[in-house]
Amino acid sequence: MKEWIFTTDHKRVGISYLVGSMAAFAVAGTMALLIRMEQFNPGPGITDNPHTYNTWLYFHGAAMILAFLIPGLTGFAANYFLPLMIGAPDVAFPRVNSFSVMLFWLAIVLALLNFVIPDPADIMWTGYPPYSVMTEGNTAWYVFVVHMMGFSSILGAINFLTTVIYMRAPGMGWNQLNVFVWGTVTAFVMQLIFIPALAAAVTLLLFDKYLGTHFFDPAAGGDVLLYQNIFWFYSHPAVYVILLPALGILFEIVATMSKNPVFNYKACIYGGFWGTTLLAGEVWIHHLYVSGMPDWLRIGMMVSTILISIPVGLMTISLWGTLYRGAITFNTGMMYASGALFFLLLGGLTGIPNAMTVVDLHIGETSFVHSHFHYVMAMLATFALIGGVYYWFPKMTGKYANEGIGKLGFWLNFIGVNVTMFPLMLIGPLGMPRRYYDYPMVPELAPMHHLATYGSLIVLLGMAITLINWITSAIAGEKAPLNPWGSKSLEWTHTDSPPGPGNFKGGTPVITEDWTPYNYGK
Amino acid sequence: MATHSESHAEHPHFHAPSHWEWSTAPTLIVLGIFFSIPLAFAGHFVYHNSLMTSVFAGLGVPVLLWGISQWVSEGINSPESHHHGLSKVGLPIFIVSEVWIFIGLFSAYWALRLMAAQWPPDGTPHIGTNLPIIMTILLVSSSATIHVAEEKLEEGDVGGMKTWLILTLLLGTVFLGCTLTEYSKLIGEGFVPSTNAYSTAFFSITGFHASHVLVGLVTFLCVLIPALSGKTNKTFLACASVYWHFVDIVWFFVVSQIYFW
Ligand SMILES: [Cu+2]
Repeated sequence: MKEWIFTTDHKRVGISYLVGSMAAFAVAGTMALLIRMEQFNPGPGITDNPHTYNTWLYFHGAAMILAFLIPGLTGFAANYFLPLMIGAPDVAFPRVNSFSVMLFWLAIVLALLNFVIPDPADIMWTGYPPYSVMTEGNTAWYVFVVHMMGFSSILGAINFLTTVIYMRAPGMGWNQLNVFVWGTVTAFVMQLIFIPALAAAVTLLLFDKYLGTHFFDPAAGGDVLLYQNIFWFYSHPAVYVILLPALGILFEIVATMSKNPVFNYKACIYGGFWGTTLLAGEVWIHHLYVSGMPDWLRIGMMVSTILISIPVGLMTISLWGTLYRGAITFNTGMMYASGALFFLLLGGLTGIPNAMTVVDLHIGETSFVHSHFHYVMAMLATFALIGGVYYWFPKMTGKYANEGIGKLGFWLNFIGVNVTMFPLMLIGPLGMPRRYYDYPMVPELAPMHHLATYGSLIVLLGMAITLINWITSAIAGEKAPLNPWGSKSLEWTHTDSPPGPGNFKGGTPVITEDWTPYNYGK
Repeated sequence: MATHSESHAEHPHFHAPSHWEWSTAPTLIVLGIFFSIPLAFAGHFVYHNSLMTSVFAGLGVPVLLWGISQWVSEGINSPESHHHGLSKVGLPIFIVSEVWIFIGLFSAYWALRLMAAQWPPDGTPHIGTNLPIIMTILLVSSSATIHVAEEKLEEGDVGGMKTWLILTLLLGTVFLGCTLTEYSKLIGEGFVPSTNAYSTAFFSITGFHASHVLVGLVTFLCVLIPALSGKTNKTFLACASVYWHFVDIVWFFVVSQIYFW
């Protein structure tokens, strides 16, 4: 038991991340259901206290991003599979890795305690001043959650970057890395540079609220928009911290299931993944279109934001190109990947009007944006993560996940999220604001809210089925061979299922020059 | 195609452990942080309850120290492992992220300063530049002494290493003493964090730097205490030293931007 709780092994640390992030997902998902129920009709619904509603919004956003998506992708998936893919016995600093996951658990405990403490935090996940400085709520609590998650991620970045640079299998060159490894590396490069900005922003919030400084107080020479600038300097790249590892998982599933090498590998890695990383830090001011900025800056930010379409386009082309003329196996993992590809298309295309300053000024604070980022970030990454769990399920457990139940769960989830989010996209331009507790000015939109709420209940059913499927299959699933999908990647070809301590029983694999993880003889 | 092989000439040989490895040190440190930071802070600043604050801090700080000492002893007693020496790569990566925190703080300061109608704003007393010059000399000489300590260890002279390390610790402690003296003088003159935009930036940036000095001193203690019983680790000292040089370099920015500009 102590070997599970206090483990420093990357695979067990990975499982710990998976359990923690799914727990966070369950609670944050419950908040989403409460939000949907409250929005069912205009006027007070299940609560007549807007502050309670605010704490739901706060928890849903903060936990989904900081406690579910980022730890699920860069904690669970990177921990379990990156060392296997590069042929390493563990990460560079196993004890630091254990420290990271423990900090993550601490952050989750802190976040959950928010429901118990007096005056809980109620400041959204963005924590904008002046509200966050003036509120009775415990803003410090949120700041410490961010500190713990942030420190955990920075330690993860140090660990994984060192691992990839120094612990690749003998002979493994940069162009022989799995796309998922690149997705993780670029995500961690961004975490390393941008998280400190977030940490600085919320720390200054702490100083302003509790030590009496005036960073964000215009009455005493401070600047309220300063916070928004520092905050979004991190939080726009945070979208790519989620997107890039998620796309990495999609590449692994798509290449294996269609038995094709990754199309345009170099353009995808150097143009797509690194291009996104390079542009990530130059677009944050588009979050201040509505808050205000000089006109000349609006144009510049519009251009840099639209430029992001180029690297994202390169990655999308590679994904579809990998599918082209493939012998595609549509198992549950691949179905989730396909669903994610659909979200990438819809979410990506709805991003373009948001980038246009003139359009965004009108739709930026409506549920159109709410729906857009759920498609492109929340739903895409969640489907990639669930698809990844199905894809690697035989590796982690030695057993197959049940396909029939898996597919049933997929269809419920896919239909459910679309029924929830598509109506919200439609009513945004009709005047439905984001974040509001009530919508007395547009009562005629209630039928669309009904639809969205029913959709969220379908997702509840789909997710329950999915989780039950994982647990029952892990205990009593059909035994799977070592490489059931016929992949060429090291985690499938060279390790046990699940791999034991040290991963590679026969010693580290040695890589020859013509080897690639996508070597399907084409 | 990839093939199995026991070892490879060009790469370090990694020993795969045959059992599941584990450590309680990270959990202890995290528990210590939990009590001594979020809970004690909330007790004092949010709920204004001094009993709560002292109970949480009293629980947290010992557990934190216990965790750190456990971590250090595990590190220093473990045989040279497969990742030996990689910390010299990991630490600079950590410093990259520290640099960005300071960039964030300085940007905030520059934004306030460049947008201000007048600088320094009303309510700012005269802030002397003699003390910061002395502090600069202290910190620069401590960077030199820690370098000598490193060289002594390289030569195998543990006694010399201890002497120079203790000297470094003293210089760092005097530096922190200067900070406290300056703070109490300024606070006595009514210049507190809430006075104006300058005090906001002044206390935040110098305080944040001082906290880094403190962390540096703790890492030196983590090297010194095992050294007293003859246990040393070159990588560990090298990392502590690189971190200290970084803290030193940041100080130049603090001095030039906060005091002399
Ligand atoms: Cu953005």
